Formats: sequence, C-alpha cells, structure tokens
Amino acid sequence: MSVEPLNNELINNELIKYESIGISFGNRKVLSGFNLTVKKNQKILLRGKSGVGKTTLLKMLLGFTKPSEGTLYFRNRVIDSKTCWEARKEIAYVVQDTDLGEGKVKNLLGEIFSYRANKEKLDSEKLWTFMRELELEDNILEKNFQELSGGEKQRVGILIALLLNRNIYLLDEATSALDAKLKKKVADYFLAREDWTLLIVSHDKEWERDWMRIIDLETQSW
Amino acid sequence: MPIYDISYTSLIFCFFLLIIPIFISRKIRLELEKSTLEAVFRMSIQLFFAGLFLNFIFNLNNGLLNLAWVGLMIFFASYTAIKSADLNVKKLFLPIIISIAFSNLVILLYVNKFVINLENLLDARYLIPIAGMLLGNALRGNVVGIGDFYNDIKRNENRYLYSLSIGAGRYEAVIPYLRKSLRAAIKPTLANIYSIGIVSLPGMMTGQILGGASPLIAIKYQITIMVAIYVSTLLSTTLSILTSFGTAFDDYGLVNKELYEKSS
Repeated sequence: MSVEPLNNELINNELIKYESIGISFGNRKVLSGFNLTVKKNQKILLRGKSGVGKTTLLKMLLGFTKPSEGTLYFRNRVIDSKTCWEARKEIAYVVQDTDLGEGKVKNLLGEIFSYRANKEKLDSEKLWTFMRELELEDNILEKNFQELSGGEKQRVGILIALLLNRNIYLLDEATSALDAKLKKKVADYFLAREDWTLLIVSHDKEWERDWMRIIDLETQSW
Repeated sequence: MPIYDISYTSLIFCFFLLIIPIFISRKIRLELEKSTLEAVFRMSIQLFFAGLFLNFIFNLNNGLLNLAWVGLMIFFASYTAIKSADLNVKKLFLPIIISIAFSNLVILLYVNKFVINLENLLDARYLIPIAGMLLGNALRGNVVGIGDFYNDIKRNENRYLYSLSIGAGRYEAVIPYLRKSLRAAIKPTLANIYSIGIVSLPGMMTGQILGGASPLIAIKYQITIMVAIYVSTLLSTTLSILTSFGTAFDDYGLVNKELYEKSS
C-alpha cells in the first residue's frame, strides 16, 4: 500500500515513451527499434542527418503520422485518434518554417487564440515582452505574414509557442534561420526553464549542453 | 404575339452558318473541323431526344414523375461535380448528393409555393426548368468549393498540421479553408448578379421574351431565379463540404489519403 504513491509518481514523471519505434518512408526503412523515455523537465537533443526520421518522431507525438512499428505513449497512454487531441493541447510544436497562412500577423494570432483550447491565453503584456526578447519590431503585427522573412516567420512561431504557455516543447530546427546571437538567446531561454520538457531537433550547436542527453539517430546510440 | 416555330428545314440554314468556323479552321489550321461537326451533331441528337422526352413528361405532367426526373438531374449533377473536382467519387458521393438534393428541393419548392404561387408545386413546366437552372449553378459552385477546400488543405499541409498542433479543434482547423473555398465558390454567382441586365440578358429572360412573355414579367422571374440560384449555391456548397467531413477526415483530423486518388 505504501509503495503505490511513489510508483504513481514515478510513472507520472514519464511524459513521453517511444517503444521499439520503426519508421518507413514508402518501402524504405529509415529507423527501427527506437526507444526513448522522456521524463518531466528533461531536455533531450535528437541528432542525425536529414532523412533519418527526426521530424517524423516529433510528428508522431501529435498524431500526424503513425509509426510503422512499435508503440508511442504520452502520459502513459498510447497515442491514438483520441489521445493525440490531448497531446496537441499540451505540447507546443515549433517548426522550421512556420506557416500561419494568409493575412495580417495580428489577425492570424487572433485566430489562434480564438481556439477553444487557447482562449484567454493572449496576454498583451506578455506579447510585447516576448516580441522584444525575440527582437521583433512592433509593426510586425500589422504586416502580412507571407511577406515576413524566414527569420521573422520562425520567430513568430517561437512567439506563439511562448504565448501558449505550455510546458512541453517539440522544437524542430526552431532557430535555423536566426543569427548566432539570437540562436543563443532563444536556446538559453528555453534551456534555463527547469519546469519545461524539451525535445529538440537542431543542427545549431547553441542548443548543446554538457549536461543534456544527446541522442544520435545515425549511430543508433539510445 | 405569335411564336415563330423553327421548321426542321429552316434549321438547315442554321447549320449553314457552320461553314464559317470550318473555313476559318481550315485556313488557320486550327484542326477543329472534325470536333466542330461532331459537337454540333452530338448536341442536336441529345437535344432532340431531350425534347421528345420533355415533351412526353410535360404532356403527362405527373408530379411524381416530374420529381423523379429532377432526382435524376440531381444524381448526374452530383456525379459530375465530384468527377470534375478530381476527388474520389465513392467517398464523397453520398454527402454531396444529399446536400445538393436537399438545398435545391427546398429552394425550388419554396419558390414555387411562395413566390410564383403555383397551384401544383410539381408542375413540370416550372419544376424542371427551374431545377435545371438551380442545379447547373449549384453544380459549378460545388465543384469549385469542394475542390478548392480539399486541394487547399493538401497544398498547405504544413499550415494545416500546424494549426492542429497549437490546439485547433476539428472545426477550428478547417474554418480558414472553408471560408476561402466558399468565397471562391460563390463569387462568380455574385458577380453575375451585379452585372445582370446591363452586360447581358440572361438566358431565361431571353427565352421568356422569345416565348411571347412581357419583359416586365420576365424580369420578375429573373430576379427570383437569381436569388434562388445564389441561395441554393451557397447552401448546397456549404452543406456539401460540411457533410463530407465525416468520410473525408479520419479521427486524427487528417484528410484520408484515398480522397486524393483519382478513382478509376
């Protein structure tokens, strides 16, 4: 009886668990037998050349693609057509080429924060703070999203993730288009947050730390 | 006012006109001589049979038979709508046929009852031509609407997935695409309403006037028809897209891949 609470806590600490995951693109098998457990507050960096399945591993968590073999758990529940909707509300996903669609940045942000899951999360004070931190100019809100530069789009993606105020982040080459100074700033900011769980895919060395777990998908070192 | 019938022999004079396109085609090597003749021949045969058949139906004027004929028109309209949108017919046929049938019948009967004040709501002379006009337009709207909607999601897959990733519900994620595709579907009809009477005399009005009706009656019918077309096009396209969700999207909120395969 007395062991149970401890056990529960241990299990609850396990946020994400990849169990013998295999990935195939068409007939080509790119990854097999991948195992990884991500605990709460852990920061993990996934490495490996392109085409090895890094992005796919992240997308699986959101139910955008299914593993060709193995099982994926989020909070000890198998990711399926029901649980993926929960994961999407808890996980912030930052992609390399954020695409919000057509229209003014202001309106597109408004649309995102009109979703039932995100209502009341748009805090204008936070918005201005994060914009300043990300070195986004004030007038960006009035601009058309499609007219922004690659770096600006990427920063808007990071901005949204920060505003959503979530604790689990999937960062897929989230700083690839930023200059070195800003890369470092963003990486430092994310890595310093102890209560955040990060699953990072990046070729930027700014994200590497001695203390973090680094998984190389090419050498299959997991 | 007498209605001048066109005799079959005088139709030959009409076909004489085709000498002009054939001459042009020869001179400039458009290589359209064969298709010109074929197209006109096919049209004549098709219309000849349609004429015989409609004449039969109009003389009989049996409400149920008229309705069945409209049903057949709806069936073919829906089939063509999906076929020309390059989407999988089998998956979307049911939602589209139900949406087009529902929208057009409701508008059609409403117009017959409350606007034209027909005694017999299923009178062939009103039911069939008006149904044809509503269907033709609803059909075009549905082709544009459904096609744009699913192709836009496919073209912008990352954008769509991103919206799901930041917590959009099923409906919230598709709303931008729904808005865009409905606007595209309804725009030509709206533009048509704007310009009618100035740029062109619409076919129905022309027909009524040639048939001996006063232009003042003809315009009232035309106004009614334009409003009916606008409403039924928007209604049927909206319903088509909304009711297709059940079969087109899986439980993960992703579009079923088979939808984009051209059915054989």
